[in-house]
Amino acid sequence: MTPQAALQSEIFRTYAWIVAGVLVAAGLALAVLRWILKKEVGSVWLTYRSWLIMAPLIFGSILGGRVVFIVVLCLLAGIGFKEFARATGLYRDWWLTGAVYIGIIAVGITCLVPQPQGEEPGNGWYGLFVALPVFAVALILLIPIARNRVQGQLQGVALAIVGFIYMGWMFGHLAFMANATHAYGYLLYVIFATEINDVAAFTCGRLFGRRPFRSNISPKKTWGGTLGALAVSLILPWLLRFSFPHFGAKQLLLTGLIVGIGGQLGDLVISVIKRDIGIKDMGSGIPGHGGVLDRIDSLIYVAPLFLHMAGYFYGLR
Amino acid sequence: MRREPGFDMTWRYEPAADLDQSLAERLRRFPREPDLTVYAVRSAAALLLRGWLRLFHRLRITGRENLPKEGSFVIVCNHTSHLDTLCVLAAMPLPKLHRVFPAAAQDYFFISAPRLAIAAIVVNALPFGRQKHIRQSLELCRSLLANPGNVLVLFPEGTRTSTGALGEFKPGIGSLVAGTDLPVVPCHLRGGFEAWPRGKWFPRPRKLHLRIGKPRSYAALPNDKESAKRISADLREAVAALGMD
Repeated sequence: MTPQAALQSEIFRTYAWIVAGVLVAAGLALAVLRWILKKEVGSVWLTYRSWLIMAPLIFGSILGGRVVFIVVLCLLAGIGFKEFARATGLYRDWWLTGAVYIGIIAVGITCLVPQPQGEEPGNGWYGLFVALPVFAVALILLIPIARNRVQGQLQGVALAIVGFIYMGWMFGHLAFMANATHAYGYLLYVIFATEINDVAAFTCGRLFGRRPFRSNISPKKTWGGTLGALAVSLILPWLLRFSFPHFGAKQLLLTGLIVGIGGQLGDLVISVIKRDIGIKDMGSGIPGHGGVLDRIDSLIYVAPLFLHMAGYFYGLR
Repeated sequence: MRREPGFDMTWRYEPAADLDQSLAERLRRFPREPDLTVYAVRSAAALLLRGWLRLFHRLRITGRENLPKEGSFVIVCNHTSHLDTLCVLAAMPLPKLHRVFPAAAQDYFFISAPRLAIAAIVVNALPFGRQKHIRQSLELCRSLLANPGNVLVLFPEGTRTSTGALGEFKPGIGSLVAGTDLPVVPCHLRGGFEAWPRGKWFPRPRKLHLRIGKPRSYAALPNDKESAKRISADLREAVAALGMD
């Protein structure tokens, strides 16, 4: 991944056109709703406006090349974890949060460097990347011992481990994907399809959502929205087949299932956390979306599953 | 919410008090929630400022040994320019930096975004309402000093001098420390007025000398208006005496 390669890549340019087209179409649709049909679109408008800023940033970081993309993703993971730490109160413990930040930096480094002995092809130290939770959990568990503390340590350690595994390492799989031979297709598809899945769940829920899906966790989610989004996500791999021309029918089906189910699970996981704590949003960084974690939550589930699926069938590099 | 039978585990979460606030709101509130990024920026800025003061202003600091090693205390200093605060901060050991709170005028530093960023992030200022809310502001100072290890920096003149001469001390500092065993450390900065007088955009390369005096305590005095005035006058004398040397 380099700026030159991105500009020459048919896949990158096609996605740039698709996203630009979707944003223009969505803007027009909202304008029609707002000014011609006189409907109230306040919150959706805010969400849309934030997309106008986020979409160029995503394309910019992919255009910037492998190193830029991995650094940006690690920053996002760091911000996401910071929101989690502030929401749970873990941020008051500098040792544990510091250990998780070190873990996130380690995720970035294993994504960037090739394996020292050179037995793996290409960039990214896959073996260590996959083994990182062992070292991170060991480091986190060491902290109460090093500080000779007991009270409340199980909660702190558990929160830190969830923070690293979920926001650091699982989300970090998206960064590792930048090392794949088909990086542009994989990355752009996973990000685009996951966000479409989110939008589809919202729209289908509005249109034919009746029965609540998981009433205790997320009262607004309905069976209609969930199944509608799954249907959209199952069709999408066939429509955007140019992203991974080597995929057969089985892989396309798995891709649809991973995005359709995983995307919504990721959303629900963060909802469980928020509901248990008793807060509405993880932060206030992105107008109309909440915090960074509220935006990347679906990707956290999809990225690792997709990476290991593609790696199992074709090898990553 | 419905309670399910079986295993029930309730953890105690303490979300940040400023969770749903924007960055500006978070910087404006006091006490501010601790933030690793802010601490990192503040430490880096402190290193740069210390270098700048050393090189550009040939800053000399004498009497560092007079600073109490532990517990909370108050520093009072003459107010000739914005450099005063930076020089007092430069006299503090770096690891203590985030527990040093210079009182800054709420109406000047906590309104516009650039000044807010400097006051809250770089200086770690405590917003002090000098026209209204003086009582609440003093209460804020009191609760800050109740936590051991905090340092409050006050400029009892209340505003920067326009002539270079030391102005009257307001009685607020007196009422804050009367009848308590809080040490008050008088400080004097020489050269600040020549280096950066009011109304100038940028400091000029003049020499600065910060003198730190012996701490005083007013535990024996009753907490009333009379002793507040006496303490303020006594501290003014102490600061003026440091400037005479």
